[in-house]
Amino acid sequence: MSTSRSTVIRAVTIAGALGVAAIGYSCRPTKPSLVTGDAAARVYVAPGQYDEFYAFMSGGFNGQVSVYGLPSGRMLKLIPVFSQHAENGWGYNEETKPMLQTTHGFIPWDDTHHAELSQTAGVPDGRWLFINGNNTPRVARIDLTRFETEEILEIPNAAGGHASPFTTPDTKYIVSATRFSVPIPNTDVPIDSYKKNFRGTLSFISADKPGQMDIAFQIMMPGYNYDLGHAGKGPSDGWFFFTTYNSEQAYTKLEANASKNDKDFVAAVNYKQAETCVANGKAKAFPSKYAHNFVDDKSRVASSEIKTSVKMLDPTDCPGLVYYLPTPKSPHGVDVDPTGEYIVAGGKLATVIPVHSFTKLQKAIADKAFETTVDGVPVLKYDATIAGEVQKPGLGPLHTEFDGKGYAYTSMFISSEIVKWKLGTWEVVDRAPTYYSIGHLMIPGGDSRQPFGKYVVAMNKITKDRYLPTGGELTQSAQLYDISGDKMRLLLDFPTIGEPHYAQALPATIIRDKQIKFFSLKDNANPHVARAESETGIKRIGKRVDVKMIAIRSHFAPDNIEGVQQGDTVYFHLTNIEQDWDILHGFAILGAENSELIMQPGETRTLKWLPKNAGVYPFYCTDFCSALHQEMSGYVRVSPRGSTVALSAGTSPKAQSQIARLQAVQGQR
Amino acid sequence: MSRASRLLTAAAALLLGALYFTPLWSIRLVAPQYPEGLGMLIGIRDISGMKENDLHSINGLNHYIGMRPIEAAAIPELRYMPWIVAGLIATGLIVALVGRRRLLAVWMFGFAALGVAGLYDFWRWGYDYGHNLDAEQAIIAVPGMSYQPPLLGSKQLLNFTATSWPAAGGILAGLAFALGAAALVLAYRRRPSASGLGAALLAASVACTSGTQSLRLGVDVCAECRMLVTDARFGARVVTHTSKVLTFDSIDCMRKHLAGIPASDVRDVWLADAAHPGSLVRAGEATLLDDESLHPPMGTTYARAAYAR
Repeated sequence: MSTSRSTVIRAVTIAGALGVAAIGYSCRPTKPSLVTGDAAARVYVAPGQYDEFYAFMSGGFNGQVSVYGLPSGRMLKLIPVFSQHAENGWGYNEETKPMLQTTHGFIPWDDTHHAELSQTAGVPDGRWLFINGNNTPRVARIDLTRFETEEILEIPNAAGGHASPFTTPDTKYIVSATRFSVPIPNTDVPIDSYKKNFRGTLSFISADKPGQMDIAFQIMMPGYNYDLGHAGKGPSDGWFFFTTYNSEQAYTKLEANASKNDKDFVAAVNYKQAETCVANGKAKAFPSKYAHNFVDDKSRVASSEIKTSVKMLDPTDCPGLVYYLPTPKSPHGVDVDPTGEYIVAGGKLATVIPVHSFTKLQKAIADKAFETTVDGVPVLKYDATIAGEVQKPGLGPLHTEFDGKGYAYTSMFISSEIVKWKLGTWEVVDRAPTYYSIGHLMIPGGDSRQPFGKYVVAMNKITKDRYLPTGGELTQSAQLYDISGDKMRLLLDFPTIGEPHYAQALPATIIRDKQIKFFSLKDNANPHVARAESETGIKRIGKRVDVKMIAIRSHFAPDNIEGVQQGDTVYFHLTNIEQDWDILHGFAILGAENSELIMQPGETRTLKWLPKNAGVYPFYCTDFCSALHQEMSGYVRVSPRGSTVALSAGTSPKAQSQIARLQAVQGQR
Repeated sequence: MSRASRLLTAAAALLLGALYFTPLWSIRLVAPQYPEGLGMLIGIRDISGMKENDLHSINGLNHYIGMRPIEAAAIPELRYMPWIVAGLIATGLIVALVGRRRLLAVWMFGFAALGVAGLYDFWRWGYDYGHNLDAEQAIIAVPGMSYQPPLLGSKQLLNFTATSWPAAGGILAGLAFALGAAALVLAYRRRPSASGLGAALLAASVACTSGTQSLRLGVDVCAECRMLVTDARFGARVVTHTSKVLTFDSIDCMRKHLAGIPASDVRDVWLADAAHPGSLVRAGEATLLDDESLHPPMGTTYARAAYAR
């Protein structure tokens, strides 16, 4: 009995041991720590110290631009561009509402993708930042002395403004190309008539004169999807390169149907040739409506105009304008190295990174090494333009930036890594994992003639477990790597808002000292400005009531308003008469259906208010401005329609005595 | 067949019942953008995700390479596997009841054949899913690339590392097979001493806890006095019925310790052979001598030593 029991125990022990061994094998190692050495010190910016670089990141589906400091990864500002921003009244106040006008009406949102700094001689100069709106195709210019959007141009004859707003080396032009081909002009046709009716366009936008952005010319292209672009530089100056996919011309289930061809194209555009053709009258006047919105420099009031025509070039009328360079598997990014010789394409589904040579391109054109012609666009032979292929780079190559030392850095979406490789030998020299699924990557000045180098930032599409979890929707994740040595070193992981697609960065010193601190009150040309308390007042024309008010620490004037009636439209014109850095005031009134106002020093902003019911409504300052900020408030009395209450705007006796004292002090000075 | 053998056979058969509740095999997928991993559990009745929506996610990802969706309904084996296992359990219980060792051998052969056939079938499905891709629908088409998961171990499939191992059910099935094998060994061996295949298996698996392993000087600690065992001529090992191994630095220490535990707990007693330092002899095969020529480990004037008879 005892023997058989012990035998059973032994047998169970054997089997158990086998089981334990199997479980042991299936255990996997956990993720190792990847940050080494002095990474913390490298990204630490001591209190009161400044970051070395400004980084401008697109906000993706928040429609804005966010500004970060590098290497700290601290967010410094969100610049509203294409989306209404209740936080400061952008797109809600009367001065900025025209900025969001389009031929489709007032559009309160867009999807920003690519931040592009203006350049001089191929180097970022810190004058402006351009950003595209992908959904309702637009480009915006942001002034980098104010960090404010100053101009927005709608792109006609386009859908999906994705390949935008990349600049030429002198910012003579920025471009915008159609991600979605559509009938041009857009008309009611069956979707399955795609091949016959759908076209793409490449737009060249004159960009170097503030307030005068316009479509210089458009090029009518075969109906493919135009994805990204970059200008040539140095020897290739005068050329622009765009990737294009869906050469299958699929219009349904694109993920499969637009991924069939082994090669799609890089479109090489000779825009000097385009200028010649336009000058020689080869471009047709093409009726096209599009909005142009810009902020007047003196009044700080935006206006919107509708333009009615563009110059349209057809490649068949302008030989030598465009060539197609066959490029493997649905290319996404197209990036030109600092020398201007190499054109690197990232085939999303390709197993190599193909690099075209500008020298070989020139020779292939001279030799007429054409495979075929598509709608007047010659297709060059792949071998005739290719300089080399980076073999086994990883999975899903997307975008490439350069360090100016002969190396290229390519983002790999599927294998989630940055791959560093050498230009000329095409050998991979280093890889660094990213967390997770990197889209664009950015080296300060990394697409220019003289990269500033030092860091590469990975902008990832998937965040998952990188930060404390915050429900189903997470911020995006970015990583900062040191690229000053032979190997990339992960330094920092920081969250970013919206969904940064592309970003650009430049040394802070280029723009830091050009920042305005306030707007000069004496230059304020807003038609409703009140430069002093004496210029305030109230006026009625029919059902419209205009109230001119000032804001100064710690009161509004007037702050007691009577005689407003139900059904009136009231405009509060608030001027912040401070002339002191960072003394902002806000204005909010109960029941306003739009937002608050934020007035920078010296700035006038207008809020529209539609009182519906009789009563008394308080308003107050929303931006904590002073010790008596809580006292900075007032009332509007709303009476029934037809009431005999007289229109008046004044101050209470207490406020009047305060004001008198203040004026006396000012008088003594 | 001995009672032990019949018991083991019955246990093996009943253990197979676990396959109705736990998966047989698991395939785990980890990629840079899936640090938490995705997983698939394959049972005799169903294929499911490790987490609630894993299978859905795996099928979603597989569409990129043109792999058709993995659906339990499309795999007929999942309908008849439960009946095969039921048959194996029933016949196993009959074998245990009848107690004929030849029947047991036949049953074990059937068990092994079904196991091999099952693994082959699993491999065949993996091959089929991994190779028969819909080129028309494939978005990522890497020339020459197939996506067959491994049967056992890890394999890189594009950005995913696929790792395949038996799951709880598979391990329990292996355990059932091992029990059956042990039953077979018991049924066929001549006498109830540790010999033949059974002994080899036992030695391999319990070596690390065996009483017969020689004393590890400077490593083993006396279970009584807590001193290190330092002299190979002295010392003892006691193996209890719960397979606990107690080591002592002297026979005296052992005696002291055994006085404190029930005698029925003790399965085996091994003593250091003073004539052959390093080897152990069973207590029943040793002669104890009080030997004044030996210097004992602890201050007594003579040492009690064991010599093999």
